[in-house]
Amino acid sequence: MFSWTKMGLVFDPENYSEKYVWLKQFAQAPATLIRDEYVRVYFSCRPGPDKQGQYVSYSAYVDLNRKNLFDIRAVSERPILTLGSLGTFDEFGTYPVSVIEKGSDIFAYYGGWTRCESVPFNVGIGVAVSKDSGKTFERLGPGPVIGYSPDEPFVMSGPKIRFFEDRYYLFYIAGRKWKLVDGRAEPVYKIRLAVSEDGICWNKIGKDLIESRIEIDEAQASPDVFFANGKYHMFFCYRYSEDYRGKAQGYRIGYAWSYNLIDWTREDNRAGIDISETGWDSEMISYPHVFELDGNIYMFYLGNQVGRRGFGLAKLEGHLR
Amino acid sequence: MHWNKIGQIFDPSDHSVLGQQLEFAQSPQTLILEDRVRVYFSTRSRSRSRYGDGKFLSHIAFVDFSRDFSQILGVSQEQVIPLGDLGCFDEHGIFPINVLSRSGEIFAYTCGWNRRVSVSVDTAIGLAKSYDGGRTFQKVGAGPVLGPSLNEPFLVGDGFVRFFKNQFHMWYIFGTSWAELEAGCAPDRTYKIGHATSTDGVNWKKEDGVQIVSDRLPERESQALPSVVEVGYRYLMAFCYRYSSDFRSNPERAYRLGFAWSDDLMEWSRADDQFRFSGTTGCWDADMQCYPHVFELNGKTFLLYNGNEFGRHGFGLAELIH
Repeated sequence: MFSWTKMGLVFDPENYSEKYVWLKQFAQAPATLIRDEYVRVYFSCRPGPDKQGQYVSYSAYVDLNRKNLFDIRAVSERPILTLGSLGTFDEFGTYPVSVIEKGSDIFAYYGGWTRCESVPFNVGIGVAVSKDSGKTFERLGPGPVIGYSPDEPFVMSGPKIRFFEDRYYLFYIAGRKWKLVDGRAEPVYKIRLAVSEDGICWNKIGKDLIESRIEIDEAQASPDVFFANGKYHMFFCYRYSEDYRGKAQGYRIGYAWSYNLIDWTREDNRAGIDISETGWDSEMISYPHVFELDGNIYMFYLGNQVGRRGFGLAKLEGHLR
Repeated sequence: MHWNKIGQIFDPSDHSVLGQQLEFAQSPQTLILEDRVRVYFSTRSRSRSRYGDGKFLSHIAFVDFSRDFSQILGVSQEQVIPLGDLGCFDEHGIFPINVLSRSGEIFAYTCGWNRRVSVSVDTAIGLAKSYDGGRTFQKVGAGPVLGPSLNEPFLVGDGFVRFFKNQFHMWYIFGTSWAELEAGCAPDRTYKIGHATSTDGVNWKKEDGVQIVSDRLPERESQALPSVVEVGYRYLMAFCYRYSSDFRSNPERAYRLGFAWSDDLMEWSRADDQFRFSGTTGCWDADMQCYPHVFELNGKTFLLYNGNEFGRHGFGLAELIH
């Protein structure tokens, strides 16, 4: 048995919106890079909407004191990656980001957003490299690093890059259908996996890793995999396909485990974390990211309105078994 | 060696499909059957969706010819392949379609179109199969088999597939830029011909971002619709090319047919000057020649192509004379 003890909100973007125009709202999808002195947490944010009410999204980072994760040491001066050029898959957003070290380089896998006519957007997964310890990143190419395919037709997003047993694993989501709800196109997406020797050329496993539980059109996101005690543990989030912007059908955090990374057993009742009675995470919790630091295991996660007020921290009690 | 023009063999305004008079018959591509030659093409309807009302949607239809092209045997009267569902790569059109018969199966590689906001469209290549001799096709999944990749960021389309030298080859196009080339006009695209190979026709290995046919125009040449046929011991590619801006109504900058030779399917040398294919003054192909398709029939090599206005007036036939 394990559970998560909530420690509170770590980073609220509204404290910085005066200083940075591109950091007006949201701090979504936290992902860590652990350093000797600090923990760098990448997140995604948005400037205010444009005249048409449309948002773009950027990714940035905040450096937290390794000895006290509530002590903010620095916030990036600018987004870590520019938007893509005209007509490219990431012209309107680079969100979310997942990073991994490879020698002295740091590679970022990210969701790139474009805008469509019949549906609001499409998303593809890109890759970029940093030569300055993760402050800024350059694309390896103008297009996505993993393609759409007959059974993954659109909305490939939410990449999480991992390295297990000499191979790269890319957990991500792929769109299954666009569902018209009161005239609005809402995406349904499922958790998928691809494997690679070099992090560039990917072989898709081609199956839904996590069975749908609450409804057939359940949307699943943020597949965050952590190895402990001989098993792989996945924390992810899921929601209903309709009316998911409120408490009743909004995001919750789920849990699954696996021995081989491909066959997973879903046991949400063991996730050990739920919404709070009151406060910033009282309506929904989502986008978990689990990491180990100095002998403890922590989770960053988002609260109400999928991170509008930033991300919070929880600490593992018990053992991931 | 030269192309002997036989003339226009199909005018869409003479035919109706599903109760509508045809407008456009673009990108003719063949399936050789025992008793006929089936020529697939793309025609257009106006969209009636809640978005983009009045914009064109491209659909696939076909016409059957006798094997000597002297008679039209019929025009498709049912839907050959449906457009994609909401949000799919082929939601707003299929144009063109390339059909391949191999080992008793009939495959089709489609170029699907979907509309964007900052630029007009994107495309990707889908796969479908026919179980009724090429009358209708079922898609292998809702997504594409070939789409954007690290070095081919958009506009992957116009797939042409043949089985040569123990593997499948696909020649196709990929976009290299979107740019506002004329002040105040919508962005224009530039694209080039690329190459991919496959052992099963489903999983493809791209050269990824490698332009395989050289340019001949002084600036921003766009190349489209490659097709390849064996001629003797060599391979002949036909394609079309144009300037990237002011190409719709200015005949000086419009599509022309280009050709290239290869001995090994890897290195191509451009041979437009060898063929000097041109329009006939005052005729249906005077201002533009585009969307070529080369194929072999009865031991001869033929070329189908479109003329003025990107195929509004149908297509014509030419024969390669040695």
